[in-house]
Amino acid sequence: MRAFLAGAQIQLRFLRAYPDAAIPFFTAPMFSVIFQMVFRHAGREDLTPYAAIAPVFIALWWLALFNSGWTITMERWNGTIEMLVAAPSSFAAVVFGRITTTTLLGVVSFFETWLVARAIFGTKITIYHPWAFYATVFVTLFAMAGTAVAMASLFVLARNAVTFSNSASYPFYVLGGILVPVSFLPHWIRPVSAVVFLSWSADLMRAALQAAPMHEFWFRLAMVAMLGAAGLLVGLYAMRVILTRVRGTGELGTT
Amino acid sequence: MPAVDVQEIRRIFTPRKREPVVALDGVSLAIPAGEVHGLLGPNGAGKTTLVKILSTVLLPSGGRAFVGGHDVVTETEAVRPLIGIVFGGERGLYTRLSARQNLEYWGALYRLSGAQIKQRSAELLERVGLTERADQRVEEFSRGMKQRLHLARGLMGDARVLFLDEPTTGMDPLAAREFRALINQLKGEGRTILLTTHDMVEAETVCDRVTLIDRGRILATETPRSLGSLISRFQRIDVEDAPREVLEAIRAIDGVSSVTTLEDGTVRIEVHEEGATTLVLKELVDVGVTAVKTSLPSLEEVYVQVIGDRGLTV
Repeated sequence: MRAFLAGAQIQLRFLRAYPDAAIPFFTAPMFSVIFQMVFRHAGREDLTPYAAIAPVFIALWWLALFNSGWTITMERWNGTIEMLVAAPSSFAAVVFGRITTTTLLGVVSFFETWLVARAIFGTKITIYHPWAFYATVFVTLFAMAGTAVAMASLFVLARNAVTFSNSASYPFYVLGGILVPVSFLPHWIRPVSAVVFLSWSADLMRAALQAAPMHEFWFRLAMVAMLGAAGLLVGLYAMRVILTRVRGTGELGTT
Repeated sequence: MPAVDVQEIRRIFTPRKREPVVALDGVSLAIPAGEVHGLLGPNGAGKTTLVKILSTVLLPSGGRAFVGGHDVVTETEAVRPLIGIVFGGERGLYTRLSARQNLEYWGALYRLSGAQIKQRSAELLERVGLTERADQRVEEFSRGMKQRLHLARGLMGDARVLFLDEPTTGMDPLAAREFRALINQLKGEGRTILLTTHDMVEAETVCDRVTLIDRGRILATETPRSLGSLISRFQRIDVEDAPREVLEAIRAIDGVSSVTTLEDGTVRIEVHEEGATTLVLKELVDVGVTAVKTSLPSLEEVYVQVIGDRGLTV
């Protein structure tokens, strides 16, 4: 727990020292404008929940994924990764603390996105099922951070994790049905989408913004939690295995 | 029980599409608690590789190593709280954070409580003379200040065994002297220190014993005093266009070990006694030979001769 908190505290300090890590807070409102305009032009006001949720998910996922890559790369560039691994605290717990902090701050993008939708287009976003919505947000943030730890363990193997993490974001936007519904994707890709927690949580959040009753809420929420927990457990285990491997190859500090 | 015990450690790196490189080839070393031990050798000798293995961040290809009696491969959780690592150079610090923030972070990673972190970071900043700059970004620090902060960081966990990997690299002489004074203070506290360096003066100033290492093999372990006298005894003189009869006279001087002609025609004269160099130079200058260059042999060359003379085994 102490390692997690140490990671969280240092991440807050890094965010002040490296403001470029906050780019999604500037891009999220822009995406909101683009998506709102596209749907309005197409006469599909019924897709407003997609326009309201998609920029937030893009911001949250980008923050989680980019920070997992950036964390590993920065420690390598700094020459601190070997000292971190040699410290008594768990390296994976520190990374989890850092990613969780950034992801939690990503909640700000909800307010930005919806404020822009209201100010520019007069679109009012109503949360019809508030408790379901808040619960989904909470579990989604955990799943984001957990999955990002799994990605971070892979980034330890990559020489330039930032490039890898940048390119890894788009497949998840598609598979998660963040903007384009999963039902529009080819049949063969849907089973893959079902194991991506984003697809479950995006569906739930959109459902919470619609007046219709929510079906199978607890089951769907449990799927988000389970996939997130699986990501975290795989990440923690993979981090241990991969660190042992790079200690063997001598590539831990290699940039 | 030695604080650091290295037994027949081997480390082979296998780069992609290249031949394997033997970085350490059966290194054995025992460092008693409280000793400042120098690991002296040229670049690529295997010094940093050994430090990385002892720091638990690199696995050996063979052999075993213990810190505080714990195996560095199988008991990393017991080893890590005992050690502090200080690397030389610009890297190893978060330059956009302040000195205090750097130390606080490492204190948390060494599982100190909030109060302990505050107290220890303040004490260490005072000790390394950075209290006035504690809240300044590290990127504004000089090389010497960064190195002192490195040392403070390595001490946040109150390590009993410190690995200092070329800590004075790139420092100006004054900063290096101050840093060595700090190492002497740490020695006074009974900490065990393994210091890697390729600077003979540094080894002589702070180390109780020095191990010479080259190409992954230990050449010898001595006190710095014996090393210093050995090196000053052995010298070599390269001469161009010296008359044959003068070279014969030089060969007869006491303390001259050999007179050999190299492939490019230069004659190399090697001496093994203090004062012999002066006599050789006098002979040469008397007959007007001025194309003369004197140099010290490499540490390895000295040791090969010394070990041969003493009949010791490496």
